[in-house]
Amino acid sequence: MLHAVGALESGACKYVLISYGHSARSGDSMLRMLSDMTGDEAIYGHFGAAGGYALAARRAMHEFNTGPDSWKHIAVGQRAWANLNPQAMMYDSRLTDEGYMTAKWLIEPFRLFDNCLISDGGRACIITSVERARDLKHPLVTIMGLGQHNPSGDLQKADYLAGPTGARIAGEAAFSMAGIARDDIDACQIYDCFTYTVEITLQDYGYFEPSGGKDWFMGGTIEPGGRMPVNTSGGLLSEAYHMGLTPLTEGVMQLMGRCGPRQLGPETNTKTPEIMLCSDNGGILQTHACYILRRI
Amino acid sequence: MEYAKPLPQVNADTRPFWQGCRQHLLKIQKCKNCGLLRCPPAFICPECLSSEVEWVAAKGKGRVYSFAVYHAAYQPGFQDELPYVVALVDLDEGARMITNIVGCDPGEVYCEMAVEIVWDDVNETFSIPKFRPLQK
Repeated sequence: MLHAVGALESGACKYVLISYGHSARSGDSMLRMLSDMTGDEAIYGHFGAAGGYALAARRAMHEFNTGPDSWKHIAVGQRAWANLNPQAMMYDSRLTDEGYMTAKWLIEPFRLFDNCLISDGGRACIITSVERARDLKHPLVTIMGLGQHNPSGDLQKADYLAGPTGARIAGEAAFSMAGIARDDIDACQIYDCFTYTVEITLQDYGYFEPSGGKDWFMGGTIEPGGRMPVNTSGGLLSEAYHMGLTPLTEGVMQLMGRCGPRQLGPETNTKTPEIMLCSDNGGILQTHACYILRRI
Repeated sequence: MEYAKPLPQVNADTRPFWQGCRQHLLKIQKCKNCGLLRCPPAFICPECLSSEVEWVAAKGKGRVYSFAVYHAAYQPGFQDELPYVVALVDLDEGARMITNIVGCDPGEVYCEMAVEIVWDDVNETFSIPKFRPLQK
């Protein structure tokens, strides 16, 4: 996104297409990509992203007493959004607290529904100037703020697994550029490769203190009718995995009012959104991007 | 019986480490410029970019920083070991390494648990450093 804005602002082009497409479910390229992330860690049976995020989540359980009781609200809440989204892979599949808690372990502390989906499909987003966008048929959605922070480094030197992750500094940068406060955000689309990723990201953005996640998520905060809707398409956990474009495109579509039965506003007993926060991650919490979008 | 799990992919950076392991010595790189202990081995210090390095022997004691319990085998060689524990262990000397915790039930492992090294001689070439609960 920063590259896109740079290309537009410099006059190098008039439109930037950000796209992602993958036959990850029907082919084996996603599994090969994840295997390629693994070097000599494979000696110990450590593979892919789920293992790395499981290490992060376990450390977080130790440091601030989070765990499945917090994460179930994320898995179940996002599923309720997916059940309103006919495009979602899990549209027809309900999930209860009990269903979450009795699902099999994959890489503990993650059960089945702590893990995102592997999907066939794609997403795309076109970015252009405000002047040009004014003439287009959809409502104008602008970028208010952008932030990026990459603590990077090797997993074996990673002291950010239980936060603060790159979300802390990236979030501060995006809010500073936007000139708004956290309370001005109407809904969030958070990169959710695993349930824990949603918790640590919102925590690092300052929505709650460490260990406050369970109370914050409890009682329907993020689901339809909630006071802070999160991942309103179902997200990577329950709609489809299209990397950072799942959260980004959902944020844009919601602000444009193009989301049908899951549209934020009176239809889902939520606030009609004007300002949306979206996030993206890479590696094992090694890179982070935060976007704040606004409907004009 | 043929060893069915992945073996180390030895390269110029990691060769001294695996040679040490074969002698049951846990050799860790130490930056000669800034003193940083680094794991896994690399030709340049990620902190100060110096390529001056020495190898120091770690005592093989440390604490579990975090761990994950695998209930699924993503490579067939691990099927018979399920559930098994992958851990990040902080060595007393300061480096953090990825390894397995063995010699106890996965349910007994916890963050900050004291552990000590145990060598797994997997074939005539390689010994793999693993950790078990510190024996009293």
